[in-house]
Amino acid sequence: MTFTNLFSQFLSGLTYGMMLFLVASGLSLIFGVMNILNFAHATLWLIGAYFCYSFWSLMQDYTFALWVSIPLAALACAGVGWVTEVVLIKRIYKRELHEQLLITYALALIFADAIKIIWGPTDRLIVRPPIIQKPVFIFGAPFDSYFIFVILTGFAVAIGLWWFLKYTRYGHIVKAAVYSREMVGALGIPVPRIYTWVFTLGIFIAGLAGGVQSAIGSVTLGMDTAIVIQAFCVVVIGGFGSLAGTFAGSLIVGEVFSFAILYWPDGAMVLIFVITALILIIRPWGLFGTPLRA
Amino acid sequence: MKKFSLAFVLFVLAAILPFVVPEFWVHVVNEVLILGLFAVSFNLIFGYMGQLSFGHAAYYGVGAYTTGLLMVKAKWPFLLCLPASMVTAGIAALVLGLFCVRLRGIYFAILTMAFGQLVFYVVFQWYSFTGGDNGLQGIAPPPYLFNVTVYYLFTLAVVTVAMIVLRYITESPFGYTLRAIRDNAERTEFIGINVQRYMLLNFVIGGMFAGLAGALWGPFNRSVAPDLCGWQHSGQPVFMAVLGGPHNFLGPMIGSLIYIFLNAFVTGFTEYWPLVSGLVIILVVLLMPGGLFGMIKAKGYFEPGKSPSEAADRATVRDSEHG
Repeated sequence: MTFTNLFSQFLSGLTYGMMLFLVASGLSLIFGVMNILNFAHATLWLIGAYFCYSFWSLMQDYTFALWVSIPLAALACAGVGWVTEVVLIKRIYKRELHEQLLITYALALIFADAIKIIWGPTDRLIVRPPIIQKPVFIFGAPFDSYFIFVILTGFAVAIGLWWFLKYTRYGHIVKAAVYSREMVGALGIPVPRIYTWVFTLGIFIAGLAGGVQSAIGSVTLGMDTAIVIQAFCVVVIGGFGSLAGTFAGSLIVGEVFSFAILYWPDGAMVLIFVITALILIIRPWGLFGTPLRA
Repeated sequence: MKKFSLAFVLFVLAAILPFVVPEFWVHVVNEVLILGLFAVSFNLIFGYMGQLSFGHAAYYGVGAYTTGLLMVKAKWPFLLCLPASMVTAGIAALVLGLFCVRLRGIYFAILTMAFGQLVFYVVFQWYSFTGGDNGLQGIAPPPYLFNVTVYYLFTLAVVTVAMIVLRYITESPFGYTLRAIRDNAERTEFIGINVQRYMLLNFVIGGMFAGLAGALWGPFNRSVAPDLCGWQHSGQPVFMAVLGGPHNFLGPMIGSLIYIFLNAFVTGFTEYWPLVSGLVIILVVLLMPGGLFGMIKAKGYFEPGKSPSEAADRATVRDSEHG
């Protein structure tokens, strides 16, 4: 195993990790603030990918089609998320854990079938613009040039969220809500409205991630079922509601997966769950979380 | 007495069923019984112990694969596979449950789910042993059970015995200790009960009966697939319990009856069963918390001694995740 090979493996782990981060950051945000574990998160991510494909196919004669489609997909997804929150999620804030889980589980089923109805069962493939068709060579090893974009998007979202949480008024409210919703409400902040926007923001990021995903390979039905559980693993490892934790968790899962698949391809996925289970047993609140709400 | 008589009426109806309805419906009710047993075993942990397992399908899957592998690869007789499946599922539940019972609420749900996916991926990836995503094909019931009606009656007998045993367990002092843990784990600990040990024992019992249900599934379906262990499959007993009513022993079985019949009915004219089931789940959760039995109870039909409001309170006020 040469350095070059190791490095390119590291990069592909980083790409995978950043994709997981894009999915998991919204999941973690929604759980941290609203205490709702969203089973439908990855299905909305997949809807984002299909949206991106649709927008792209409308504009496919232009080279900028993909770059415009990705943010449009994120916005469209945010719209779906907003409607979902206002129509349904709002009704289950105060309900029990199993009811909340069942509702988002049901949403995952409904959205998955909605995708089938709207886009049909055929795989969708976006033809990449010329700039990302050829691989780049890093230390002599070929590397998908689009992956650079994936990694940069992951970092950009991480920095954007960090800036939002640290320096904006709404970010402060969101962070406060992670610790104590009651206190935030007592200070006269309309918590339900904050919830709606946090949910919408989470789904916006999921849609963005879906848009980014759509140009990696073909978009197919059922892509969501595996990644939602991996995103749960990321959030568990990092700690619910912690941005830094989600980032670290994504890197851990991405890199562990990427390297494990070299040496023990069948066990890579199993290893992720073993790590997740270990974290839950030793530190249920995750690497960066706080045990406040255990 | 009333509850017992309801169970008895259901049993008699189920026993005469194959002689009055077409074979298709015998098949459907067979599925109701198997998944109903699965849901009742899940409800030991959920309704009686108050913890949500989102990975119960793992033990169902271990049972199904134990029977499948023993029958296909080792040529064991089917009747020996049933107890063997209970043993392997019980062992799996013991090993994984050891860690799960340390956690509560959402963490319990996530750890059970993580373990469920762990089992799923082991089954999914281990081609040489489990056949991977091809599953195991050609699991035929033995000749004397080959007939649909006979296999149905066999399933009915096994499920009935299992239900009687489970009923006995839930009505024993052990069952009431579980209810105490559900309602207030801290206080139960204070009166000298080793809460974790009780939870673990219950987790193992739940796993064993899920394994039994899984063992019945393979020969019924002629094959087993890794999906049986996955998280989507783990959602089914949750919904069945919620649909029928988790605070009634027969609730999950009734939930299974409604769910499977709805499935058989809906899949008759549309391929979008997940969409329909999703909508039904949302409607049930929003409109009838406490399930069917909870609703009947809240209206005061079943327990004349209790005021309707008291029963309703019991159905809705449960230890929340903030606990």
